[in-house]
Amino acid sequence: MTKNLSDERDVRAATEPFQAEFPYERDEEAQVTRREFCNFLGLTSAALFLGASGFAAKVALDARESESLAATHIEGAEVLAPNSSLNFNYPSERDSAILVRTADGAYHAYGQKCTHLSCPVYYSRGHQRLECPCHEGAFDAATGNVLYGPPPRALDTIEIEMREGQVWATGRSASAPKDGG
Amino acid sequence: MKSRSNAGQAAVWQARLIMLVMINIAQLWILAATVEAALARHYSVLLPLVVASGVCFVITLSIIKWWRPTSQKKTSTGYVREDR
Repeated sequence: MTKNLSDERDVRAATEPFQAEFPYERDEEAQVTRREFCNFLGLTSAALFLGASGFAAKVALDARESESLAATHIEGAEVLAPNSSLNFNYPSERDSAILVRTADGAYHAYGQKCTHLSCPVYYSRGHQRLECPCHEGAFDAATGNVLYGPPPRALDTIEIEMREGQVWATGRSASAPKDGG
Repeated sequence: MKSRSNAGQAAVWQARLIMLVMINIAQLWILAATVEAALARHYSVLLPLVVASGVCFVITLSIIKWWRPTSQKKTSTGYVREDR
């Protein structure tokens, strides 16, 4: 004769033999109470506050650091054809950068992170400008200035020098925002 | 009378939830604004944004900790309704 399951305790008793092989907690599936949801929102609020303050603190600390950057030879820059680009890393291996040789043969180098939301920019040979594919921003290849789109400031400029026919990256400078803030 | 009291409590809980959700949305917007300002190097607005987020967090805490229906009082075992 089959016993009718009347409440949670009966269900637990009936499913107990299977708990070892199928450790399924019914409690985890229970409805969220308003109090639990309130607490969850409180934790979310704390996380958002910590996120904002942590991000701001990191950026402020990074801005204060004045690091002296070592000069780095950019491999392959000498054979770079006009109206083309080359990716390299500067000042560290984690910082991607882009070297552009414009149609007139001049070299220009920039940090590859778009100043809007840090997507990597690429050199558009057809338009002869640096473009960000994420939100359709564009930068002048010769100056790094914003041509159009959402970026609030020009690309970070990497200073380059010609040393015995080789192209070297010697420093990096961030541009000021458009409105000077 | 009891049902009116329950309805009142439910309304208070509902109001608390709505306020908490609205504050969370505001904080999400503040976080996005902080990221954009940092990437744009608008350092002057970072501190006000962080303070605003902190104020939102304090309001959230106060709503969770202290804003309770008046028919509830705190005991050592939780919240129980007062006899009237």
